[in-house]
Amino acid sequence: MFLEKLFSRGKKENEVIGDITKQIKLLNTACGLFKTALETDNPSLMRKVMDFERMGDAIRRDIISRIYEGAFLPYLRPDLCKFVEIVDSIFDLLEDTGYKYLDLKLPEQLRGECIQVAFLNRRICEMLLITFESMIKGEDLREKILAIRIYEKKIDDIKFDLIRDARKIEITNFWEGEILSQFLSCLTSISDVIEDASDHLQVIHVSMK
Amino acid sequence: MKVKEFMTTNIESIDHKRSVYYAVERMVNRRIRCLLVRFSGDEREYGVITARDVVFKVLAKGIDPTKINVSKITSKPIVCIDQDADFKEVAKIMDESDIARAFVCDQDRVIGLVALMDVMSATIIARARGEYVS
Repeated sequence: MFLEKLFSRGKKENEVIGDITKQIKLLNTACGLFKTALETDNPSLMRKVMDFERMGDAIRRDIISRIYEGAFLPYLRPDLCKFVEIVDSIFDLLEDTGYKYLDLKLPEQLRGECIQVAFLNRRICEMLLITFESMIKGEDLREKILAIRIYEKKIDDIKFDLIRDARKIEITNFWEGEILSQFLSCLTSISDVIEDASDHLQVIHVSMK
Repeated sequence: MKVKEFMTTNIESIDHKRSVYYAVERMVNRRIRCLLVRFSGDEREYGVITARDVVFKVLAKGIDPTKINVSKITSKPIVCIDQDADFKEVAKIMDESDIARAFVCDQDRVIGLVALMDVMSATIIARARGEYVS
């Protein structure tokens, strides 16, 4: 595989690839947990999403250290680090969304659409993992990246419906409205950042050629 | 991939007694191409009106859209598919019935809508996930 050659897979490189895979898998689990917590309106489950963010942080630190200890060719390191940072920022966004959820009483008329977004966030995250694994195998990423864009577009469509429906809700307290608005904004932004991560994979992939 | 994973759940509907002009306004404002028609008095009776119906059955014939009711050009009954149906089944139904969108029903209640574009998108996703079998 051409990437395996370019990545000159030694022990350090394999460890980094293993850890990045672990980081994306952890993100998948966190997205799944978030969706279940939203579906079941379970605050304690939602708090567990924050634990995943901390675990994700630890993995990110390990990966970055390993890369700068000498894994991979120097010209590849900044791009790989950038990708890892983007994935880490998705954990942060998911955590923020979770905190906002714990802070509000989600109107029932919005719950269905929010669950659908959470479900699609999980799916798009799975696609990110599939894309990363394909890149390591040196496969073409075109179809995978297109699938991510389709998911992102679908979430965007739901976002506009959500905003329209949210406008119909009577808000009696400023902070109640502000937190609901922030929650919806965070929830629907997760897919944007995942799309950024997949675009960055494409950049890494192209720069190898 | 199952239909329920990728259907549109926010469906715009219109009462059958409304004017076609009102339906056009709704379609233009929401940038959609069809409306679910509801019949007052029977919550489980549905029809559908599409942009195609408006153009061919009203505008092309020189009929004033403000003077004709939606019920006059509504297609009934609607084509319903199960939420657990596969997108391939949906494509087959659309092909056989010569329609561009189908409603997703739970028993006799409409819960979603699937358009040709959704079928195309779902196929691309299934290919990317390695789930597509030709």
